[in-house]
Amino acid sequence: MIAISNPTDELGQLRRMRLVSVVEGCTLLILVFVAVPIKHLGGHAIATTIMGPIHGMAFLLYIWTLMQTVSGADFPRADVIRMMVAAFIPFGAFHNARTLRKRQILLAST
Amino acid sequence: MQVYLWLKAFHIAAATIWISGLVVAGLAVAGRLSRAGIWATQDTLYLDAIRRWDRSVTLPAMLLTWALGIAMAMQAGWFSSYWLMIKLTIVGALLALHGMLSGTLRRQERGADRPATVLRYAAPATIVGVVTIAILVVTKPF
Repeated sequence: MIAISNPTDELGQLRRMRLVSVVEGCTLLILVFVAVPIKHLGGHAIATTIMGPIHGMAFLLYIWTLMQTVSGADFPRADVIRMMVAAFIPFGAFHNARTLRKRQILLAST
Repeated sequence: MQVYLWLKAFHIAAATIWISGLVVAGLAVAGRLSRAGIWATQDTLYLDAIRRWDRSVTLPAMLLTWALGIAMAMQAGWFSSYWLMIKLTIVGALLALHGMLSGTLRRQERGADRPATVLRYAAPATIVGVVTIAILVVTKPF
């Protein structure tokens, strides 16, 4: 059960968290499955030179938004750890987005 | 003027704005802790102003600080230096602290319970982090 005094504010926060999570996940996939093969198989280091910093910025924004989201509401510790770990795993961010969506639906129904 | 110097100038400016916002947020949370549950209208207005500043100024300044810092480090080829690794660890901790403070302010504005006591030390911890970073960046000891 989620008890929040201002559900609109919290729903907006969860939407932002989902968006950042998907952006971080997409940049990680592009880095791992496009830029890195281009560098090692094609010999073009420029791909990782461009995608590395872009993913780095997306990752930092993800960590910041995650800390903001979990500090602003009651999140189970296990969920926080799972969302942290998921940021390092390809496709993990999409699992996060699903978890956050479930929380959004639950909150909207209360 | 060299591109590097422009990057450095804006990096320092953005970092100054970020850190000042971080200290203000830390002091606001510490102030809330010392009130021991007393919650006045002025507090809500004050917190609202800090939150708006945090969203519109401090967060963009933080992202700009990181972006310019990464660009500088790439240009200068510092990513293999130990001093930079230590600096990045400290700046990462400051980023996490900023996120925590921002979330706590959001929660406090809703009139929630007392913030985590550990956040009482957010402002002094920020200052210690910044001083350490300044020493590392200027002396580049390793």
